[in-house]
Amino acid sequence: MSKRNRVAAVVGVGHTDWVGDWKRVRAGERPDDCYGYAAGAFRNALADAEMTRDQIDGLIVGPTTAYERMAEVLNMNVRWGDQADAVLSVAQACMAIETGMADVVALVYGNDQRSVGTQYGGPQAMGGDMFLSYVYHAPWGMTSQGALYALMFQRFAELYGVSERDLGHVAVAQREGSSLNPNAIQRKRITIDDYMAAPYITEPLRLFDYCLINDGGVALIIAEAEMARKLSRKPVYIEAIGRYDLNAGATSLEPRLTDFYRPAQQAVAEQIFGQSGLDPSDIDVLQVYDSFSVHVPLALEGYGYCKVGESGKFMREQGIGLAGRLPTNTSGGHLSESYMQGWNHQIECVRQARGECGDRQIGNCRRVHYTSDVAGKAVSIIYGA
Amino acid sequence: MTMETQTSTTPPRVMGLYDAPMWQLLKETGKLHLQCCSDCGTWRYPPGPACQACLSPGSEWKPVSGGGELLSWIVFHKQYLPAYPAPYNVIAVRLDEGPTVISNLIGDPRDERPVGRRVKLAVAAMEDGVALPRFELAE
Repeated sequence: MSKRNRVAAVVGVGHTDWVGDWKRVRAGERPDDCYGYAAGAFRNALADAEMTRDQIDGLIVGPTTAYERMAEVLNMNVRWGDQADAVLSVAQACMAIETGMADVVALVYGNDQRSVGTQYGGPQAMGGDMFLSYVYHAPWGMTSQGALYALMFQRFAELYGVSERDLGHVAVAQREGSSLNPNAIQRKRITIDDYMAAPYITEPLRLFDYCLINDGGVALIIAEAEMARKLSRKPVYIEAIGRYDLNAGATSLEPRLTDFYRPAQQAVAEQIFGQSGLDPSDIDVLQVYDSFSVHVPLALEGYGYCKVGESGKFMREQGIGLAGRLPTNTSGGHLSESYMQGWNHQIECVRQARGECGDRQIGNCRRVHYTSDVAGKAVSIIYGA
Repeated sequence: MTMETQTSTTPPRVMGLYDAPMWQLLKETGKLHLQCCSDCGTWRYPPGPACQACLSPGSEWKPVSGGGELLSWIVFHKQYLPAYPAPYNVIAVRLDEGPTVISNLIGDPRDERPVGRRVKLAVAAMEDGVALPRFELAE
């Protein structure tokens, strides 16, 4: 059960110039394609790790690039390879290392979603071939990722008395972090009143509840723990990994609407805290996949950072900002830093655990919990210095 | 925010191997029919090849009562689909037979705060001839 504890460590992280590319794309340029962004991030991760490409024997690419072409662009022949999303890439790298399939794995992700106009709602919504719920309800006008989370939050708010103002604390806290993050695209601080004054997109969710859509890339290098200690001055260990999927009734959104993914998160909480011997009070920073703000209160409750139904009160009174009880999405996350589909959260976890976050650094940060609940898959990692 | 006036051409329906009977039967009979497992009686939605309770492939198309409980609602303030100018609503309903369906509420949910309220089926005739299962508050 505890095998996944400290099997591997992150020895390098890198990303592209999200802010510069955001400006160029807004000006009508196409700075790069998804492969180019991934390659740029990988160069930066190698530099961060002070390593060369030939020291790597495994490669995992994100879902937005084809594995074979990505490997060809990077000119990497490897003895183990795969394709996965952000959090599952880290999990699969650890599994490859644990089973001896690879010793040092590069994880690379590039996405040109803004410059090529990827649609997350409407007649050309992406993902419908994989997730039936994205397209199945179009005859009723039900479309867009945001609408799925709006439907989820409306019921949650009604059952537990969480208000729209309470939810606003997510966007406000994450802007505090992004305002101190030179890599963040949206850095202007906002207040709860600014949040409430912004228009609804899909009521009850407003503009600031939605993530950015931008181009860019992220890369990580993960090494077997013993090698990591030799390779890196600041290895950041994977302390625990857990996963539980709720697939039954997914098209009709039942796992979202009946228990808000909580049973999956509770099962994962048992796994990760059991493996690591930690509990929620040992976590210094929380990172939550935030395509929409709604993910944050649900994670606070699902992982036991507060009681069920008390996330609104927790955010209001304890706080999730940099000085709060549980600093959350300290980089600004998808809402304000960059929408790298969970990948930018991984490198923020590493940087917080290394103590490299400058003005947004959380003091004495030793352990960071990352979690995502995309399409009913609850997955968590605990990173530790 | 009446639902009758908002659609010209119904946005495309997913039409896999199992989907057509629901739409045909609704149009012909005015009643919503769903697959019901011929072995264990569990209702199935969306239509598909196996019972989620017992994995049996066998099913019959049977009418549901049309009653259910409203689980949640949203109002779109942005237009995504040509047929649906904003604002319009979408709801989730748990049918008395068990399955949850996504649909529209006839009327404005913002006036009613309808989470937990009883609803009943109200079939809408779309301009392009599609019969669409929608709901209205039951009391």
